[in-house]
Amino acid sequence: MSDREKERWVGKRYKRKEDLRLLVGRGKFVDDIKLPNTKHAAIIRSPYPHAWIKAIDTSEAEKLPGVRGVLTGRDVAEMSSPFAVGVPIPPKYYSCAVDKVRFVGEPVAVVVADTRYIAEDALDLIKVDYELLPVVMDIEEAAEPGSPVLHENIGSNIYSHRVMKYGDPDRAFKEADLVVRGKFHFPKYGSTPIETYAVIASYNPFSEEFVVYNNYQGPFVNHSIVALALGVPENKMRWIVPADIGGGFGTKTGMYPYIALISLAAKKTGMTVKWIEDRREHLLASASGTDRVTYMEAALKKDGAILALKDKAMDNTGGYIRPPEPGCAYRSTGNHTGAYNIANLDREIMVVATNKSLTAPNRGYTCQELYFSVERLVDMAAAALDMDPAEIRFKNFIQADQFPFTTATGGIYDSGNYQKAFQMALDTIDYKKWRAEQLKAREQGRYIGIGMATIVDPSVTNISYVTVALPPELRARSHPKSGSGESVTIKMDPLGKVHVIACTNPQGQGHDTVISQIVADELDIHPEDVTISDIVDTHDRIYTITTGSYSSRFASVGVNAVVDATRKLKQKILQIGAKLLAVDPGEVELKGGKIRVKASPERTIAVKHVAGTAHWNQSALPEGMDAGLFASTLLSMPTSQPPDEQDRVDSSNTYGFCCEAIVLEIDPDTCEIKFHKWASVHDSGVILNPMIVEGQVMGSIAHGLGGSLLEEFAYDENGQCLTASFQDYLCPTAMDVPDIDIGHVQTPSPYTALGSKGAGEASCESVPAALGNAIADALAPLGVTINELPLTPNKIWHLVQEAKAKKEQAGHEA
Amino acid sequence: MRLEGKYKFDASQERVWEVLTNPRHLEKAIPGCERLQESEPNKYDALLKVGIAAVKGTFTGKFEVADPDPPQQYRLVGEGSGSSGFVKGEATIHLTAANEQTLVDYHGEMQIGGLIAGVGQRMLGGIAKMMLNQFFKRMGNELKSSK
Repeated sequence: MSDREKERWVGKRYKRKEDLRLLVGRGKFVDDIKLPNTKHAAIIRSPYPHAWIKAIDTSEAEKLPGVRGVLTGRDVAEMSSPFAVGVPIPPKYYSCAVDKVRFVGEPVAVVVADTRYIAEDALDLIKVDYELLPVVMDIEEAAEPGSPVLHENIGSNIYSHRVMKYGDPDRAFKEADLVVRGKFHFPKYGSTPIETYAVIASYNPFSEEFVVYNNYQGPFVNHSIVALALGVPENKMRWIVPADIGGGFGTKTGMYPYIALISLAAKKTGMTVKWIEDRREHLLASASGTDRVTYMEAALKKDGAILALKDKAMDNTGGYIRPPEPGCAYRSTGNHTGAYNIANLDREIMVVATNKSLTAPNRGYTCQELYFSVERLVDMAAAALDMDPAEIRFKNFIQADQFPFTTATGGIYDSGNYQKAFQMALDTIDYKKWRAEQLKAREQGRYIGIGMATIVDPSVTNISYVTVALPPELRARSHPKSGSGESVTIKMDPLGKVHVIACTNPQGQGHDTVISQIVADELDIHPEDVTISDIVDTHDRIYTITTGSYSSRFASVGVNAVVDATRKLKQKILQIGAKLLAVDPGEVELKGGKIRVKASPERTIAVKHVAGTAHWNQSALPEGMDAGLFASTLLSMPTSQPPDEQDRVDSSNTYGFCCEAIVLEIDPDTCEIKFHKWASVHDSGVILNPMIVEGQVMGSIAHGLGGSLLEEFAYDENGQCLTASFQDYLCPTAMDVPDIDIGHVQTPSPYTALGSKGAGEASCESVPAALGNAIADALAPLGVTINELPLTPNKIWHLVQEAKAKKEQAGHEA
Repeated sequence: MRLEGKYKFDASQERVWEVLTNPRHLEKAIPGCERLQESEPNKYDALLKVGIAAVKGTFTGKFEVADPDPPQQYRLVGEGSGSSGFVKGEATIHLTAANEQTLVDYHGEMQIGGLIAGVGQRMLGGIAKMMLNQFFKRMGNELKSSK
């Protein structure tokens, strides 16, 4: 192929390398790992939301044949310390309740037995004596003085509280022609990955080392947190993650307390202990996103220009707070004003404790909470100004020629063309036509609604954002934090084939496929000539505190690492080839498996020959070059800097754009929703593999739809979780997700090697807002207020009846 | 969860009172009851095996016939717990004579927690009603057979 155009693999609909093994049931998950002499754990969990543990009697359980030991909270307190967390007064959060339980489902003891059956039976024989305490379930009540306090050492239920001002919001509110206000409530929902948490732990008393197989998704920040809690150095805490994980979505970062718990059970019993979380446990006590109460105000000019936002948000991390929380409140710092050019922001943040289960990032990591409020408020502002909701968005967008754009809060938006993408969405649904249809339908008593949301999707965590939880003076006293590092090593074997060693432990994102495509382009080989190992093994992988797959970081920093390592390798190949051809390295190029002299293309040497030389004839290598053929990189994004003294930070390092435009109709009798049109337009920079991006987009739409219309971890007033099975925790099925027109605009990111950025979280952040807006628009003639989710038919029906009753009453009074 | 209902027995008020508060009959009539022991007058320890939705479990509990006012009214106060959760409740049971029959009225509150709350919540109302009906039906049988 010497002279023909090089075939590019990036951007192609190249089939996923991972699918065949998964489709035929040959994936390898933690539960598929069979180690010799493995025993099985079952966890006894609190049925009470708030109670003192007066006594635990495990004697009967220990007598049951096949039981190898029982680990209680007392053991856990003796063998470990509480997990560290970045709040002024950390609660004493251990992997197991010690003297108090604070949510239903909290682990109270672990039984280790020969089989899971015996372990489960033994749970029945453990007697726990509880002294019940009053509960607090409501976010705002929890923050009130006088409400039941969960953590005596904190003295209140407030884990984190900060007030921050960007620009001059006070002045902006004074200068405003109009102020619109809203109160919003966002539900607690999760991710329900197909594979639940899974841990196999053992402890070697001679090397004093823990070895833990698990399906944790990174970041490694929690590896060090677990090591600290267990009192071992990190090099005595080996984590191994197999090649397949059945979904992560952020909520799998909430599993590390179980890694600690099962490790301690292994240490106490001297056994290899396996624990596979069952579905009820997962729904009851794994991790969800936070529920949030928001009071938001916008200061506007008559022409629709938004001068400032005021955002008072209260997050609920449940019975305890654990890393990466309080990230829930700070993750969106850089993109807090969304897609709009808003110079002033007034933020008050409170993270509170209630007797609900615990939280972790949940696909979109509180951007869905943020944009539900912002985007509802933008629609409310449009209505107050008698403007079209599309027009007010165009009015306030950051313009295409303003990138890179620094936001009021320090975010550096890398690229975008919001107008173009949004116009594409409106054109796709035939916006004007449907506005006309809506008018006609209203005359017939039908409820057609058009909803939209335009949002900025952050990808790649800059770890420094977590330090915004501390005020600048406290932050100055601790070590600065920053970075987003990702590592890749690439090697070429003596026969010229390529192996890539990454540390991204994908949970279904298709990294093997995309890495192969990129390497194939860079080295001009076929993707099938590339093999990948991107598992985690903390003993043999190169990583930093930020490595792993979360925050949609692969397409940005992950790809940067792949490209950087591959180009370094290519340089070596060229140098060796040039030496063998007796020319300067600048005179050669790599084409079609050959190094050739640019000026005389007939002079070539096969890459295979170069590889063989590097391994078999090491003395022939250029002077000073390492033997063998490999290259490594561990790089961070340059914009990953610590926050400044005004709390401004580029909390993410690339920022995509996403918009939804939805036409729906609500049945006036049953309040069921029927979709007429749905366009979802994304800008995640250059698309590496369209099939993978489409899959990610569809998944995030379905996930966002679940949180908007169906899913909620519901609790009764006594603190009991009512949704510990899929009967009551409703996830969308194929029947619930309509046909969706997915569109793309590709504005290359200047900060990534191939112009790509994250894609898998965006619609999770925009769909709740767009559906809320569409339903509010449909019911606007009735004067229904939409300020909370999920909008089940039942809830909509009640809102409609209330609004009708109110109208009727007003009619009578008039 | 609120519980209320009525049941009619073909027996005199005194007879119904006697059977309803007698541990020997209670043991046979309470659905899932494996064992019932009087710990002190009017107070009982019980062992129950109950299945709700996907959750089956053994509950150990105590209950008490409180404030008895024979043969008209008493309060039934009980709680039980097991690995699948806990149940706590209290009901007032009222007896009135109607010709040859006795009308039993009950109303009370029940609280359920732990796994059974998370898994069976939607069915609990129906299941509680079914179990109560079973209880009264069996009590009717006890009345007949112990004549």
